[in-house]
Amino acid sequence: MANKSYMPAVALLLFSVASSATAALPAKVALQGGRIITGTGGEIAEGTLLIEHGKITAVGKSVDIPYDAMVVDVKGKVLFPGMIAPHSSSGMDRSNENRQVTPYLDVYDSIDPSSMFFEESLRCGVLGIHVIHGDNCLIGGLSRLVHPIGMTPDEMTIQPRVALKISATPAYGRGRMSHRSQLREVFAELEFYLENLAEKLYEDELKKQDKKVDVPPEEARKRGREHINDERIDDEHRNLVKLTEGRLDAWIYIGAATDVAPAVDMARKNGFLDRSVFVIGGDAHRAVDALKEAGRPVVIGEQLTFQRRDPITDKLHETFVPKVIHEAGLQFALQANPEGSLAERMPNYQAARCVRHGIPRAVALKAITVNPANMLGVGDRLGSLEVGKTANVLILSGDPLDFNSWVEKAYVKGILAYDREKDVRLKELLSLPERTAKREKEKKEEEERKKKEAEAKKSKEKDKAADKDAEKDSDEADKKDGEKKNKDAEKKDAKKKPSETEEDKKKPKKKGKKKKNKRAKKQSTEQTPAGEEQ
Amino acid sequence: MIDLLHCLKTHGGRLSFLTWSMAASLLLTIALPPVSTASAVETASPVVVKAKTIFIGNGQVVQNGAILIQDGRIAKVGRETAVPPKATVIEIEQAEITPGLIDANARVSTIDLVPPSRTRATGVEEPSQDQSKRSDSHVGDDDHEEEHSAASGVFPSDIVNEQGSEVVPHTRVIDGMDLTCVDFQRLVRGGVTTVHASPDSSSVIGPRAAVLHTAGRRGDRVLRKVGAVKATIGIEPSVSGTHNHRGGASIYARRPNSRMGLTWVFRKAFHDAIQRGEGLEPYGADTASPEAGVVLRQVLAGEVPLRIQARLHQDIITALRLAGEFDLDFTLEEATEAYRCIKELKAAEVPVVFGPIYEAPSGFRAVTGEADQSRYSTFAALLNAGIETSLSAGEFREEDGLARQAMYAIRFGASFEDTLKAVTQTPARMLGIDKELGTIEPGKRADLIVWSGRPFAAVSRIVLVMVDGRVVVDRGE
Repeated sequence: MANKSYMPAVALLLFSVASSATAALPAKVALQGGRIITGTGGEIAEGTLLIEHGKITAVGKSVDIPYDAMVVDVKGKVLFPGMIAPHSSSGMDRSNENRQVTPYLDVYDSIDPSSMFFEESLRCGVLGIHVIHGDNCLIGGLSRLVHPIGMTPDEMTIQPRVALKISATPAYGRGRMSHRSQLREVFAELEFYLENLAEKLYEDELKKQDKKVDVPPEEARKRGREHINDERIDDEHRNLVKLTEGRLDAWIYIGAATDVAPAVDMARKNGFLDRSVFVIGGDAHRAVDALKEAGRPVVIGEQLTFQRRDPITDKLHETFVPKVIHEAGLQFALQANPEGSLAERMPNYQAARCVRHGIPRAVALKAITVNPANMLGVGDRLGSLEVGKTANVLILSGDPLDFNSWVEKAYVKGILAYDREKDVRLKELLSLPERTAKREKEKKEEEERKKKEAEAKKSKEKDKAADKDAEKDSDEADKKDGEKKNKDAEKKDAKKKPSETEEDKKKPKKKGKKKKNKRAKKQSTEQTPAGEEQ
Repeated sequence: MIDLLHCLKTHGGRLSFLTWSMAASLLLTIALPPVSTASAVETASPVVVKAKTIFIGNGQVVQNGAILIQDGRIAKVGRETAVPPKATVIEIEQAEITPGLIDANARVSTIDLVPPSRTRATGVEEPSQDQSKRSDSHVGDDDHEEEHSAASGVFPSDIVNEQGSEVVPHTRVIDGMDLTCVDFQRLVRGGVTTVHASPDSSSVIGPRAAVLHTAGRRGDRVLRKVGAVKATIGIEPSVSGTHNHRGGASIYARRPNSRMGLTWVFRKAFHDAIQRGEGLEPYGADTASPEAGVVLRQVLAGEVPLRIQARLHQDIITALRLAGEFDLDFTLEEATEAYRCIKELKAAEVPVVFGPIYEAPSGFRAVTGEADQSRYSTFAALLNAGIETSLSAGEFREEDGLARQAMYAIRFGASFEDTLKAVTQTPARMLGIDKELGTIEPGKRADLIVWSGRPFAAVSRIVLVMVDGRVVVDRGE
C-alpha cells in the first residue's frame, strides 16, 4: 500500500468526517447478520464480516467475533464491496490541457478534494475513483486511484501514478491523419531522443575517465543505453520510457471502430499491449473482433447504448454495448455517466441495466467491483469482500440492483466514512415538509390524549355510579365540565396528565379555560393558509 | 354478427330477446365500442396478451391473467380468458403489464433540426467547459456544429410558441406540430403512449396544447385538437424566446422583463377579456387582442381549461392569488418548490402536474435559476397531502424519461401504486380522456406496455408497446 505513512492522517480525517462522538475508533468491527455479496459471484444469505485494523479478516456464515470487536447488527441489510469508478475525469480542474502530448502531467496536480463529485460518489457507494485525463488529447498524463474522502489529494490516494492516458480517437476539431501520424511521431521522437541521450551519456562517461569516444556512433549509442536511468531522462520523456519498458499501464480511449486496429497496433509495436486497458466509446464495439483478438480488458463507455439511425431507411438501430462485449468473452468494467440521467450516475444502476438486457447478475456486479480493481492493479486488496482485502465495505438497505436501495453506511479502510443517518444534505433533499410532519405528530398525540381522557372519564363515572346518593351533585357538575373539557381538548395544544383527579381539574380549569380558548383560536388562525412560511 | 343484425331487424323492440341472442350468438362478451366519429379503427384480428401480472392502473392487479383486445379496444381482462379463433397470442415470460403511460406536460420537440440529445428532447445545450464529451467519431463532436443560430434569432429547438405577443391563447400547438417527428418515436419507445403536448414557457399566456397518441395510425393520433391554455408565472417568459436572447434592454428586447410586469400582463389580459365581453374597449399598454379575449372568456367560464407553470413557491402563491382574483380553476405545472406551500395548494384544491425529477437542473431550466431548490421528495409530499398529482417527464427521454421518472419517484418515497396512478389514471382524468384511456378496462383503448419484469424497476425494461391494440414498439431480443 503506497501511503502507509498517511494512514493515521486519513484515520483522523475520517473520524472528523463521520463526526462520531466516540472517544476512540474501534479497531475491530463485526458486521453481523446481513446478506453478504462478496463481489466474486458468491453470496451468503446471512453472515458476518469481520474487520480488524482496516482489513477484512473473516467473512462467512458463522464467524468467531473477538471479544473486543464492536458488533454492528446488519440484519435485513446487504453487505457489498465499495464500488470502483474505473475512468473518471470529474473532480478535476480541467480534464485536458490544450497541448496534445503531455506525458509529464499528473492528475495529482488537478484533483479538487472539495468537489461535490466526491461527496456524491461517497453517497452512492463509490469508494474508489480512478481519476484520469479526459479523451481530448493525444497522450495525456498520469492517473491516480483515490477514495472520495480526504482533505488533500495525498490523503485521498489509494494508488498514485496508475496509468498513462492515451487517446486513439482525434480530439474535437482535429483530423485522423494528423492524429495517427502524431502518435507515431511521439514514439519515433522518443527513440531519437534516447539515442541522442545514450550517445551523450557515453561521451560523458568517457570524459570522466579522461578518455575520448573511439567507437563508431552506433556502438557508442549502444553502450550508452546502459547508462540511461529515470533520473537522467527529462520530464517530457520519462513516463514514455516507463511505458515502453513495461513499467507503466496505458489506458487507451478508442472512440470509433476505425480506431481499434491502429490502437492495438500502436500498443503492440511499442511494447505496452500487455499493460493496456481499452476504454471504448462511440461505435468501437463494432470492431469487437479486433478487441477480442487483442485480449485486453475493456471499460465500456458511459452511454451503454449506441444508437444509429440508418441514413437511407431512417430506421433506428439500438445496440446495448455491454452485451456485445460480454458475448465476445471480454472482461469489462462499467462507468457511471456523470452527465447522464439521475440514475446513470450510480454504477449499480448501470449494472442493473446490464441485467435488464440479459447479462448475468454476477457478471454485471463484477463489472463494478472486481474487474475495475483488477484493471487498476489493486485486485489483490480491493474490489471484493474477501479475507485479506482492505475493508471498503458498503451496508446497503437492499439489493444493489434494486433502485430503491440506499447506502446506509460506508467503511473505508475499516473506518466508518459515511453514515446516512448523519447525511444532512440527503435529509434535506428527502424530507417531507417539516411542518406537515410536525402537525401530523401533534394530531396523533391529540387523538391519543382524547382517548385516554375518555377512558379515564368512563372508569371514574363507573366508580361514581356505585355511590350515587353521596355524589349526585358533583356528578352533574362533572358532566358539564366534561363537555367543556371535550370542546377545549379540540383547540388546545398543551398536553395533560391523565392521572389528574376530577376535583383538581375543576378549579384551575374554570379560570384558565377562556384564556386558553383565545390562545387556541389565535393559533388556529395563524395556521390557516396564509402560510407560516412567509 | 349477421345473426345479431337479423335479430335487430325482426325483434327491434324486444330487449330481452336481443340480449339473450347476443349471448347465444357471440362466444365472448365484447363491450360495444362507443361510436367515435374521428377514429376509424380497423377490424384487425383479436389479440390476446398473457402476463404474469397485469396492473389495471386503478389499484387492481390481476395475476396470471390475460387481456383480450378486439378492434383496438380492451374487450376483457381477467384470469380466465378464452382465446378466440384467429387470435394472435402474445405471451412473454415473466411479463408484467401496465397501461400505456400518459405524460400530462410533455415538451415534444416538433422541429428536429439538431441531432437529438440522448436524454433530452431538445433544449438549450449549455456549452460544456469540458471538451471531453464522447461521440461517434470525434471526441467532443457534439452538437457544437449545429449551435444555436442566434444571429437569425431562431433557435432550432424548443420553440413551440408564438412570439408576436405575450398573450396568444388563440394559437394552437397542433398547428405547429409534425406528427412524424423523431421525438414521438423516442417517447413511445419509452412507453409513453399519450402526451399532452405543451407549448414552452416563453409566453405569459401561451397557446393551447394538444393531446395526442405518440404512435399509431395517423387518423387515430389526435385525441384533443385543442386543450388547455398554458400560462407561465415566473421570469421565464422574459428570458426565453427569440427576442430576449440578445441580452439587456434594447428596442428588440421584449417588455416587460420582471415578475411584476409579467404578472401584470396576465392580469391585464383577463381584465381586457372581461372588458371586451361587456362591450367596452380596453386601452393602455399590453392590451391583449380581441381574439385572445375570446379564448380567455371561455377560460373564465370554465369551458377551456387553464394550466399555469410556476416553479418558485412565490410564483405558485402568485398564481393562486391571480386565480383568486378572477375565480379561475387551473392546474399547476412543474411546481418545483411545491414542498414549500403544500398547505396553500391543498386548501385551494389545485391539481398538479409535477416534474420532472432531476439531480440538478439543466438546459432551459437552468437558465433562470428557478429550479435550483428542487427536492427529491416533493412528489411524495404532494401525494401524501392528498393533492391530485400527475408525474411528467417534460422534455426528458430514455433513461430520464417518464418510465424512469416513476422509478425515481418510488425511490424518493412515493408508493408503487400511487406512482403508477400518477402516470396513467390521474393524467387521463386531468386530460378528460379517462373514458378512453388510463386503465386496462373493457371498453377503453388498448394502450399497453409489456415489461420484462416489475414495472419501473431498474432491472426491468420495456419489451412491447401497444397503441390502439397494435404493436408499435417491439424491443424484444
